[in-house]
Amino acid sequence: MGFITHVLKKATARPERDDPACPSCRQFLFLFGLLLALPLHAADFFITGIHTRLQDNVYLLDAHVDYRFSDEALTALDNGVPLTFQLTIEIERKRKWWLDAEVANLQQRYRLQFHPLSHQYLVQNLNSGAFYAYQSLSAALDAMGTLHDFPLLDVQLIEKGEKYEVLLHAELDIESLPSPLRPLAYITPAWRLNSDWYTWSLTP
Amino acid sequence: MVLNTLKRLTSGPKPVLLLFFLLLTSLYMMSAATQNSAVFGRLYSLLLAINILALVLLLALIGRHLISLITRYRRRAAGSRLTVRLVIMFVILAVTPISVLYYFSLQFLHRGIDSWFDLRVEQALEDALELGRTSLDSRLRELLRQSRLQVESLAHETDATARLKIHDMRERSEAVELTLLGLNGRVITSSTIDPSTVIPTLPNTAILQQLRRGLDYAALEPIRDRGLHMRIVMLVPNPDPLGEPRLLHALYAVPERLNTLANSVQSAFTQYKELAFLRKPLKYSFTLTLSLVLLLSLLTAVWAAFFSARRLVAPISDLAEGTRAVAAGDYDMRLPLPGRDELGFLVRSFNEMTRKIARARDEARESQQQAEEQRGYLEAVLACLSSGVLTLDEEATLHTVNSAAEQILGLELGPSPELSLTELQSRYPVLEPLVETIAAQLDHKHGAWQAEVVLFGPNGRQVLICRGSPLRGEGKSHGEHVIVFDDVTALIQAQRDAAWGEVARRLAHEIKNPLTPIQLSAERLRHKYLNTMPSEDAEVLDRSTHTIVQQVESMKEMVKAFSDYARPPKLQLEHVDLGKLLNEVLDLYHGDERISIRLHASHSLPHIDADMGRLRQLLHNLVKNTLEAGETAHPLTLDVSIHCAEKDRCRFVEMRFEDNGPGFPEPLLGQLFEPYITSKPKGTGLGLAIVKKIVEEHGGILWAENRESGGACITLRLPVQSKVAARTDEAYYDDDSHSANGKP
Repeated sequence: MGFITHVLKKATARPERDDPACPSCRQFLFLFGLLLALPLHAADFFITGIHTRLQDNVYLLDAHVDYRFSDEALTALDNGVPLTFQLTIEIERKRKWWLDAEVANLQQRYRLQFHPLSHQYLVQNLNSGAFYAYQSLSAALDAMGTLHDFPLLDVQLIEKGEKYEVLLHAELDIESLPSPLRPLAYITPAWRLNSDWYTWSLTP
Repeated sequence: MVLNTLKRLTSGPKPVLLLFFLLLTSLYMMSAATQNSAVFGRLYSLLLAINILALVLLLALIGRHLISLITRYRRRAAGSRLTVRLVIMFVILAVTPISVLYYFSLQFLHRGIDSWFDLRVEQALEDALELGRTSLDSRLRELLRQSRLQVESLAHETDATARLKIHDMRERSEAVELTLLGLNGRVITSSTIDPSTVIPTLPNTAILQQLRRGLDYAALEPIRDRGLHMRIVMLVPNPDPLGEPRLLHALYAVPERLNTLANSVQSAFTQYKELAFLRKPLKYSFTLTLSLVLLLSLLTAVWAAFFSARRLVAPISDLAEGTRAVAAGDYDMRLPLPGRDELGFLVRSFNEMTRKIARARDEARESQQQAEEQRGYLEAVLACLSSGVLTLDEEATLHTVNSAAEQILGLELGPSPELSLTELQSRYPVLEPLVETIAAQLDHKHGAWQAEVVLFGPNGRQVLICRGSPLRGEGKSHGEHVIVFDDVTALIQAQRDAAWGEVARRLAHEIKNPLTPIQLSAERLRHKYLNTMPSEDAEVLDRSTHTIVQQVESMKEMVKAFSDYARPPKLQLEHVDLGKLLNEVLDLYHGDERISIRLHASHSLPHIDADMGRLRQLLHNLVKNTLEAGETAHPLTLDVSIHCAEKDRCRFVEMRFEDNGPGFPEPLLGQLFEPYITSKPKGTGLGLAIVKKIVEEHGGILWAENRESGGACITLRLPVQSKVAARTDEAYYDDDSHSANGKP
């Protein structure tokens, strides 16, 4: 009983976050900022523990995405706005004198949503349809960020003597946000959540 | 080519309307997307980008129009001021209502969105959710208690015996699934209400980790496609002390009715919460859409203002340009017809006007050209006339003088002198008799007239036959007068020469015949009666017959001279070196003490076609004339100069004979070359007449004048090429000699 209360408290204990930007500034940004160049900002997501291995003629990938949300994103999530994340995995064949050739492009999409009745964070893999509920956000993010034995590509697609590279990139899909939020998301760094491009040399 | 096509496609009302329609569609879709429409929601960002792009495009277009208008305005181009005025008017007309509408729409929008939210509704929803949660919690607690009992009964069961027990437990409880599994998640045994479910719904890793820490798990969970469930996972002690603890995983379905109600509350709460959260973005979004609509409408209106103003002003600008062109003399400009309205009518009238003006101009130009041609023709005719022509206007101002008139009168006036008769007289005093005659005839004003005028000028006496007539034209030529005159001096002279020739020929013929019998009779008388008569009578006879014979001889010489004058020998033309001939003739007089002759000959003298004998006679006559006329001068000198000259494209050899004698008597100057005109005591009066005849036979001219320093000067010019004249004269003299030589 105690942990139930704990879970409930944990969920409700998160304070409401006030919007840091004043409304007039936001409006100004909203109306005219679209025309301006998007500002650069540091990465919010980090990818660690990238590892590939060959098993049963299939390359498998292990990786962990560390999702770190801005206050705006957390507030939106707590207010029932579902967030969609996209993990892009690209496999490229290195070329000396030309641009690298893309061998495969895989995308894993996850939807994260808060369920107020149960105080659960629901994670759904949009590719497989797998659906999980977690009592805490960290558990949900941990589960969502863990990639274990993810099948990359068949060994037959790999040419001998060539060098291959795996590139990973995680981002919040702004286009999946409710439409009123999108213009703001495009111009606000707090909403432009993504990782750098991580590379991993593909070795058997 | 491509640019032109693009320009054609982007100009005119159709593209504007199409663009406006597309923009409206795009705005409608965006508005729908803002309201979370599923269809347009996905396209929201794209629509936003398209609309912003359209906005930028419109801004660029308007900017281009504006710059063009400013440039035209500064250049003071036709129609630019009117365009500016129209654009400003249209823009004000468009901006004012749109701005008012925008302001109130924004107010309504914000208030409308705010009115969606109510604290009481929010509280009610939260309460409803809490109620549902409480209800479910009590149910969960009950199930948890039930699960604890199950754990206690399973605590003594081994994995093998637990299988049957689990199934039995599941059937006795309301669990959907009941599974016994290891701490690592390995399923030991499982029982499910749905026989088709092979794989049980297992707890996730987070739950397993919690249990490993010794904490049981009980929670309400939504399961995909199956609704709300209650999941309970508890540690089950292992009867084997060495065995690891096991887990009992129970999944209970929430009753259908409760599930539906809870889901409904949950859904409503979530939506409300989300909407409340999105209130500000929603306001921004609506404001953005409305602003875009406003801006696009406004810019489209401004663009339409430019477009309409341009369309409206174009024919007026064309008319202004056209008027300017017509003022500058370009009548070929045709303006494009703007339509069938009043402006179209105006432009059509303008085109008709310029067409008529152009036609009138062409006709005037043609008439002028014809007049010019006519005038040129008349001038050519006048220039070719041998008669002099003068025209005078009603104020007696000289208008036209042809070249023959200038030549005859020795004028240098040009074709349009604009000189009054008085001015003409003061400039050329020689023309006094002519001016007086003309003035007298003009005063009388009685139609055509004719008069003979004698002028005394540097060329000697000139006799002119003048005929005048008033011009009977209308307008400018009214009151003008034309005078045509001919120099008949040469004609009169020729007539006189011919008459003298005829007289001489007849005289010679008539006189020569009785002279010989007279002489013979006188000699016979003398021969027969001189010796027979007394000395006194014989002396009388001798003297008388001697006188008769002498006078007859004298008369014979005179008759011979007449004959020479009247019947010159046929010309024997040959190439003659005039310088050489002159030298030869003058050499004969070198020994003569009475005269001193100096020859000034230029070097390269051309040969002329002439009769050398006749020329020799000419030169002798001239020298003799000088000798006879200058007897009183001591010493008598004769300067002979010869050179080749060219005047009026006529090449000739000029010889001048200048002496220091008494000169010609002034009254005789005009008749010097006529027969029997002489001032010399011994002259026959035929010397210079013969000289003139020889010169004219060779197509030359001669004149005599007195030198200012005293003495006479005779100048003669012989053309270098004069075969035609010579031949004509030959024919004339052939006839003449024939009749002269004709026996009676």
